[in-house]
Amino acid sequence: MASRWTDPRASRALVLGWLAAVFGVSALADLRALGAAAAVSLLVFHRGLVRNVRRAARSAVPISVGLSAVSWLFLWAVQRTRPDVEPFVALALRTAVIAFLTFAVLDRVNLLRACEPWPTLSRLLVVTLAQIHALRLLATDSLQALRSRLVRKPGPRDVLRGAGGVTAAMVTLSTRNAREISDAMRSRGF
Amino acid sequence: MHVPDGFLSPQITIPAYAVWAPLWAWAARRHFGRAAVESLPVIGTLTALAFVIQTIMIPVPGGTSTHLVGVTLLALLYHPLVAFVCESLVLLVQALFFGAGGVTVLGVNALAMGLLGPLAGWLAWKALHRVNGKVAVFVAAYASIQVATLAVAGALGLQHALSPRYFPLPVAVVLPAMLVPSLTAAGLAEGAYTVFALSLLRKANLRGVTLD
Repeated sequence: MASRWTDPRASRALVLGWLAAVFGVSALADLRALGAAAAVSLLVFHRGLVRNVRRAARSAVPISVGLSAVSWLFLWAVQRTRPDVEPFVALALRTAVIAFLTFAVLDRVNLLRACEPWPTLSRLLVVTLAQIHALRLLATDSLQALRSRLVRKPGPRDVLRGAGGVTAAMVTLSTRNAREISDAMRSRGF
Repeated sequence: MHVPDGFLSPQITIPAYAVWAPLWAWAARRHFGRAAVESLPVIGTLTALAFVIQTIMIPVPGGTSTHLVGVTLLALLYHPLVAFVCESLVLLVQALFFGAGGVTVLGVNALAMGLLGPLAGWLAWKALHRVNGKVAVFVAAYASIQVATLAVAGALGLQHALSPRYFPLPVAVVLPAMLVPSLTAAGLAEGAYTVFALSLLRKANLRGVTLD
């Protein structure tokens, strides 16, 4: 099954199908229709189901459910009447179904291969993704270094005090790193 | 600040795509050709930095969330359209790999946060940079985030006007919920970050970094 999507034409078809599906789901406001769309999505993309449901549950769902819940409570407090809960549930479900579909499709296609016809875009994407990884590592390292220097748990004031130095290190180190990656890719014909 | 997938219907997202896609293609061709060889690593780094900054989101009731954007720096250093191309890339990476924002709302988010915001910031900087360089940069970043927030709130307000069942929050709730944190916290932080990052880039004396 995995090899089926390594064919560029099949990958492109899957990406187009996914785009049509997410726009289709984004047009739904009825809770029953959204429930049906969720069920169909789970059936069609059953391979890697647990992993993709977990990814959607960790990334998009907390924000959409949190926002829907807080907004509902906020409206209740402002209007002093209980707002209809259905549009808020539909809002959260729509976001969850679209996130699941996105992760399920990304599991099956190679995005960098899809960018092959545009070398500058590929280079910018690779440089950016590499820097995101490098910056996240640097931020984690800096926080751990701060923890090791303090006998107590670092508070927001400690983090703020160290933020200037960390940003300086991030910008200069990652710019040099980005230049090296960019030069290396250019020398390989990108 | 960005609108998540499912908050806007195709009535808004498809026209936004129709504006965003050709503009993005034109801007990418104009600013990312062979002439961009020198500046590409710096642009990549600043794009990644913008990405990292934008992942720290604070949910707000009635609106979506607030955070720094970080691309005004690209508009000031290079061009508002460079910021637009890079912010679109940030939003795409966030939508595809991290589930933030989304693919259906990419056009709306990119036009608000990548084009209108940085363009407003760039215009503010153009108007003020002869008076005081640092103040001009701070005001530009502050203005940029407010304009982007207004645009996002406007899109959500329009969605409510089109279909209250689809998006149940009226603009009277969305606008203050998004603007208050943006005016009091995110705008100031964005201004401070932009001034600081710009002074760092100047000190580092990197190839491809110029700001008169």
